[in-house]
Amino acid sequence: MVVVVATIKSVSFYTQNDGQQLIYTPFREDTETVGQRALNSILNAAIMISVIVVMTLVLVLLYKYRCYKVIHGWLFISSLLLLFFFSFIYLGEVFKTYNVAMDYFTLAVIIWNFGVVGMICIHWKGPLRLQQAYLIMISALMALVFIKYLPEWTSWLILAVISVYDLLAVLCPKGPLRILVETAQERNEPIFPALIYSCKFLELSTASPGQQSEDDGGFTSAWVGQQQQQLGNLQSTEESRREVQQMPSARGVKLGLGDFIFYSMLVGKASATASGDWNTTLACFVAILIGLCLTLLLLAIFKKALPALPISITFGLVFYFATDNLVRPFMDQLALHQFYI
Amino acid sequence: MNLERVPNEEKLNLCRKYYLGGFAFLPFLWLVNVVWFFREAFVKPPYTEQQHIKTYVKRSALGLLLWVAALTTWITIFQHFRAQWGEVADYLSFTIPLGIP
Repeated sequence: MVVVVATIKSVSFYTQNDGQQLIYTPFREDTETVGQRALNSILNAAIMISVIVVMTLVLVLLYKYRCYKVIHGWLFISSLLLLFFFSFIYLGEVFKTYNVAMDYFTLAVIIWNFGVVGMICIHWKGPLRLQQAYLIMISALMALVFIKYLPEWTSWLILAVISVYDLLAVLCPKGPLRILVETAQERNEPIFPALIYSCKFLELSTASPGQQSEDDGGFTSAWVGQQQQQLGNLQSTEESRREVQQMPSARGVKLGLGDFIFYSMLVGKASATASGDWNTTLACFVAILIGLCLTLLLLAIFKKALPALPISITFGLVFYFATDNLVRPFMDQLALHQFYI
Repeated sequence: MNLERVPNEEKLNLCRKYYLGGFAFLPFLWLVNVVWFFREAFVKPPYTEQQHIKTYVKRSALGLLLWVAALTTWITIFQHFRAQWGEVADYLSFTIPLGIP
């Protein structure tokens, strides 16, 4: 989250509205009336969510019918895209911001190294810390992409709807994610590399071989199904997110990557568009962390897969809107009148 | 993955693969190899495969140093002479800083 905020602040590219939108959100938000705008954003969000739901179902079906090759290929390609293409764009923008010259050769070496080592760490074997770092980096990249390319009201709506969907998908007996998690547990297999982030506590000795240690991220696997020109395919995000909300294994907690992405997106959006600047950003940050702690607490109590998004996002959204609209004017007035509490 | 729970042959295998992979213009892979297997090679009490792991780690470190030296030289040259090279430099550049130096 820190990475996302830092980038948003410094690189204006991501906050410019150059009019380009993802193909999944065909309705524009710069319309004239408020009603029109609201309607458009609702439609956008609906489209996005339905895309996500469809992708989730597709993934679950593939999993159930053991089309592992397809899933692996999908995950592979998406993480490939993310690691190379997006980091290329990101680096380009960072260099432009700091007005630094960079030649193609050095750039090629950097990106090639970053990408290949990332693929190795995520999809094959690599040190745990490095794997976690890569997962975080790609989640941050995704969040940045979303922030740039989704219009405002749509993003907030999406965040809200996603939390609700998350709740439903994981807890309802027929929810796709639940099916996924249960099937994985029945077959005693690890869930895909590249969809999950695991915080492992090092344990001693006897770890069952079927243990899900190699969770990785590759979040975007679901992400890029078909490569489209635009940064389309949010599905993956959902997918990944969907994958495993949280599953306590013998030690260590696994968190779906999509969760990271949406948390980061919330904080990033807050820092990009809030009038209250740092106050709001900090408030959201804290809210999300609190939400996460609560969710972990619940996890310890219930001991089954739980959705990680709803609590944190709800807190985050509440804090954001509250801080933006209530606290800021209050602080301004206080400063204006030189009245310190 | 956690190296603690991995048998020695596998560690050797992994170290070797990382070492060989680094030849594909991947000094970063060598760096990861060195850092990750450093404890295994030098700090832990000796075991059969350790000798080999040590050689791989040393060679990776060597390769890494060479790459770092080469890259640093190239970057210094590029940054210093970029303005003077005119067109060729522009062709090589990914981003060109604005303004007057």
